[in-house]
Amino acid sequence: MSEAFIRCEKLTKVYRKGDQEIVPIRDLDLEIARGAFVSLMGPSGSGKTTLLNLLAGIDSPTRGALHIGSNDLARLSRGALAAWRSREVGIVFQSYNLVPVLTAFENVELPLLLQPLSRAERARRAMEALDTVGLGDRASHFPSQLSGGQEQRVAIARAIVARPPLLLADEPTGDLDRESADLVLALLASLHRDRGTTIVMVTHDPEAAARADTLLHLDKGRLAARESRGAEAAR
Amino acid sequence: MMRLLPFDHAIRNLGRSPRRLALLVGGSALVSLLVLGAVAFSRGLETSLGASGLATNALVLAAGSEESVERSEIAPGVTDALATGVDGIAVLAGQPLVSPEIHAALPVSLSGEAVGSEGEAPEAPPVLVRGFEPAAFAVHPQVRLASGRWPRPGADEVAAGPEALARVGGAAAGAREGATLLIAGQPFTVVGTLHAPGTAMHGEFWMRLDRLAQLTQRTTRSCVVVALGDAEFDDVDALVATRLDLESVAMTESDYYARLAEFFAPIRALVLATAILVSCGAALGGLNAMYAAFASRVREVGTLQALGFGRTAIAVSLAIESLVACSAGALLASLIAVLFLDGAAVRFSMGSFALSVDATAIAAGLLSGIVLGVVGAIAPIIRCLSLPIPIALRA
Repeated sequence: MSEAFIRCEKLTKVYRKGDQEIVPIRDLDLEIARGAFVSLMGPSGSGKTTLLNLLAGIDSPTRGALHIGSNDLARLSRGALAAWRSREVGIVFQSYNLVPVLTAFENVELPLLLQPLSRAERARRAMEALDTVGLGDRASHFPSQLSGGQEQRVAIARAIVARPPLLLADEPTGDLDRESADLVLALLASLHRDRGTTIVMVTHDPEAAARADTLLHLDKGRLAARESRGAEAAR
Repeated sequence: MMRLLPFDHAIRNLGRSPRRLALLVGGSALVSLLVLGAVAFSRGLETSLGASGLATNALVLAAGSEESVERSEIAPGVTDALATGVDGIAVLAGQPLVSPEIHAALPVSLSGEAVGSEGEAPEAPPVLVRGFEPAAFAVHPQVRLASGRWPRPGADEVAAGPEALARVGGAAAGAREGATLLIAGQPFTVVGTLHAPGTAMHGEFWMRLDRLAQLTQRTTRSCVVVALGDAEFDDVDALVATRLDLESVAMTESDYYARLAEFFAPIRALVLATAILVSCGAALGGLNAMYAAFASRVREVGTLQALGFGRTAIAVSLAIESLVACSAGALLASLIAVLFLDGAAVRFSMGSFALSVDATAIAAGLLSGIVLGVVGAIAPIIRCLSLPIPIALRA
């Protein structure tokens, strides 16, 4: 059995909306192995995106423990979390979230500004990432000059350029047509296969989910079902 | 160690958003220009009055008229009393430099100016007309004749300061030497052009003393200006203090203009206060524009945070953008002020002075731009960074 890379113990997230208490994640126990490709599925409001935000360190748990690698995220300060994200996590958003005034190259280069790299090294790695997603020839294009599928591939290049061990994707194909979605999913699969990147992907799309080797079904903030394909990567 | 976004990232962001850049630069330029204009007004008035008087001249005028030489009336005999009673007065060609003068605010208009719709004469603005004798050239070295000649005694002639001519519309009408002016309803020919930039005299008409006395039907003088030479001011002061029959007081010419500057202090304060209030209004508009410009970037800021940039790094980058844009606006305002405001005439009641865009005014303009850049960035930065990242990402 593989070593657990992500470990959630009694993980709970509570939001308050006026007098109302919303609990999108409730006492969740979960382990994900290093190098796994996991799809998170579930109905709207089941806590998929909240769990992804917690895993990304952009939201903090109310109770419980969340370990990723050797880090206990619940104990990290805001600044330490930011530094951890820059080293360990790549995030792909449903609506790409590219900076509109920056070119594809400059968007991809952004995470490298946090690394102690020379300008030349940054340029080399940014171009390498763009080549990986097949957009080396679109480096000087602005997001507005790219199609949705191309924008998402740029976003993936940005997410992987710092070579993080964990890639989190929130509905990466949600805004794309089938052809573009297939391209993006193939890209994620190859990153998982070739680089051993641990991928956690939130999706509503069964076809997209089928690319993963583990499917986790969330319902009302709890793990409702677990489905493994091939090697057991998630427990 | 915290890593900041590179400086050129902020500059690049600005350059890639021309509309946002124009908003920031334009708002800042407007605020800076208002502040700069107000300070230029204050400095111009101060400089003009300061340059108009010399500490080496004593001004003798009627007791009780220390604040206004136009209201002063002293007997013609005061001139001789000073010339003979004070030892050491400066002398030129054997003549003591004692200059009796009449200062009168008289209505002046261009001859042949159109009458009003109901046939009445147009209201002519009062302009300071100075009656002089030849000693005036020596006691007022700031004034020289740029062209033409000095008016002759008894003649219906004037020398015109460029600002005085402009004030009565002569500049626009192309009036120059040879033109006829109506001064207190009587025609006078312009025979010379005065040159005394930066002083009150740049905005005066000068005619010979005897002609102005005749025109104003007065036998008294307004004042006597004494070039002290080797004499002390105290000598002049002692003379007028002991000769009660002269009914005069003495002060240095620079003191007189300093008092005049004090008299105008409330006006300067009012102008500054108005400019500050208008600037505050413009600044609020600028702040609003900046808030809108930055608030629209909530999602971008959320993305940067998600990528691992710290809040301080993002705040510094946004502040640099704001500071650079507002400083550019302040520089633009300074350039506009130097090109179009510096030396521009401000005319009031009987006189005029030039706006002075000096180092102080430019410093005030630049400072206002910098303050706007820093203060204006605070609220939107707080707004951008206070949102939880997941919410910012969906903004």
